[in-house]
Parts: sequence; structure tokens; C-alpha cells
Amino acid sequence: MQVSTISVSDSRRSGNRIVVAGIIAIVVILIAAGALLMLTLPDANAFNARVERIFVENDALTGQTDIKLLEILAQSGTAFGDTLTSYRMVIFVLLVFSAAMLVAALVFLVMLVTMNRRMAQIERSGIEVSSLIISREENTVYLNTMGFKLTEAMIETLAVLAEARMDDDILTGAQIEAVISGRHESDCEEAAGATRIKRLRDGLGNQLVSELLVRNIARRGYVLAIDKGVIEVV
Amino acid sequence: MKPLMLTLLVALWLPAAAQAQCFAEYKAKQDNPLRLHYGILLLDSASCPGPAAATRAVTRRLAGTGWTLLNIVGLSEARPTDKQKANAGEYYLRF
Repeated sequence: MQVSTISVSDSRRSGNRIVVAGIIAIVVILIAAGALLMLTLPDANAFNARVERIFVENDALTGQTDIKLLEILAQSGTAFGDTLTSYRMVIFVLLVFSAAMLVAALVFLVMLVTMNRRMAQIERSGIEVSSLIISREENTVYLNTMGFKLTEAMIETLAVLAEARMDDDILTGAQIEAVISGRHESDCEEAAGATRIKRLRDGLGNQLVSELLVRNIARRGYVLAIDKGVIEVV
Repeated sequence: MKPLMLTLLVALWLPAAAQAQCFAEYKAKQDNPLRLHYGILLLDSASCPGPAAATRAVTRRLAGTGWTLLNIVGLSEARPTDKQKANAGEYYLRF
């Protein structure tokens, strides 16, 4: 089930799409530029062909010195053609560099936008839960770097909620009670689960926690209002 | 007197006609690196063929020598001048 909260990872995902599209666009543009470069540069044989044409079209060019000169002309043309080939390599290397630069610039730009959005969200929500570690052995829950000592029953409730969050489920009070007590859901009362939730909130600091962590969604149940990626149970 | 002159003339002309030969001036090339040459070769035929036939004949003669025929400059039954010989150099009657 989809929860009606805005996740930071959602905006990051859409940002990733933009980055991928942008990178593809850059690569396509550069490939087009490279193809244009390859097709428009004259090949080394163009000079030879030109010299050959001069030789054929002028019947007077039959003297041995004339022919020698024409051959030298063709050779220097070929040498220039080789220079052009090396220029082409240089241009390609520069193209690759510029591609890397463009891609890096785009990635940083999008990262900046995402960061800004995230910062705005953090400012709005007050406290961002970036890690929630439930330690059953110590009966302690770590929110970011803060550790909260809880009773075994509270840890149990939190663990059930965390598991449900990881499965994108929303549990009603009766379902929570059923999971913890092991009885069938129809035998459990909504109030019993609600009491567990209340105790958990009391243990963590009531109103602040009910807004930030253990949220109640009307007529549907309880859910941990955090990104499921940050949950860890040890 | 007149018939004698005529016989003499015919006698003089006939061997010349029998020896009639065709010199073809041509231009040829080699690729990579480009090399060019102007040459003269003697065609086998008794008289000069048309341009197309001459091109075919010269192409045949140059085949296997590594040279490619570019064009035929001229065909003549007269012996080439000294200047033409000098221009052709080592390619005078080589192929």
C-alpha cells in the first residue's frame, strides 16, 4: 500500500531519471558531432586523386621533371592527410573530455537540485530520521544517534511496526495485538493494540513521536512515518 | 618513263606500308604512394586502332606490371620525336 507521505527517495528517483535522460542526450549529441567530424574531413587519398586529375587533364605534362614534381606534390598532400588524421584523434580526445565534463556538470547540477529539495524537506519536518536501529538485546531503539531505552513490550511493538513498514503495510490495533500475542486477529481487540501504541509513544515522548515516527492514519491503522530504507533490526 | 616511275614509287611505298607500326603515348599510375609515368609503347597491330581498342590494348600490356593506365595521350604511326623519347625516358618501349 502506498502511504500518502512524500519520500525523499522519490524525488531522488525522479532526479535520477532526469540525469539518465540528460546523459543520454549529451552522448547522442557528441556521437552526432563525432560522425559529422568523420564524414566532413577529407580522406588522405583526396590529394592523390586531385594530382592524378591534373596529370590526366594536361597533355603537356609529360616531362620527367614535371612528373617528379607532381609526385612530390602528391606525397606532401599525403603527409598533410596524415597530419589531419592525427588532428582528428586530438579532436576526438577533446570531445571525450568535454563529454565527461558535461556529464559531470549535469550530475552535479541535479545533485544540487535534489539536495536543495531535501534540505527544504528537512527544514519543514524538523527532524529527519536517517537511521532507526532496533536493538532487541539491549531493549533500545536508536533514532539517528540518540538511543532510547524501552521496555520489552515496547520494543516488540516497534519491531512489529518496523516489519510492517518494510512490507509497506499499515497495521490496525487489532492486527498489532494479534502479531504480538500470537492469537487470531478476530480474537483481539482494537483497544489492546492502541494501548500498546500509546505505551510506545509514552516511552519515546508522545506528541513529537506521534508526528515524526508512529503515525496514526485514520480508519486504517498505524505506520512508521519514515523511509523504510533506514530501518535496521539487530 | 611514267610506268617506271610508278613502279618505283610503289616499290618504295610498299615496304613502308608493310612496316607500318603504331606508337601509343600513354599515362599510367601506381597507388600508395602515388607514382606517375608517361610512356610510349609499340602496339602489335599493323595500323593504329581506334581510341577504345587502343585503350584496351594498352591496358592488356600494362596488366601485371603494377601500373594502371590513366589515359592514352595520342596514337601515331610515325616514330616519336626525340623530345617525346626523352620525356618517356626509361618507359620508352619498356612494356
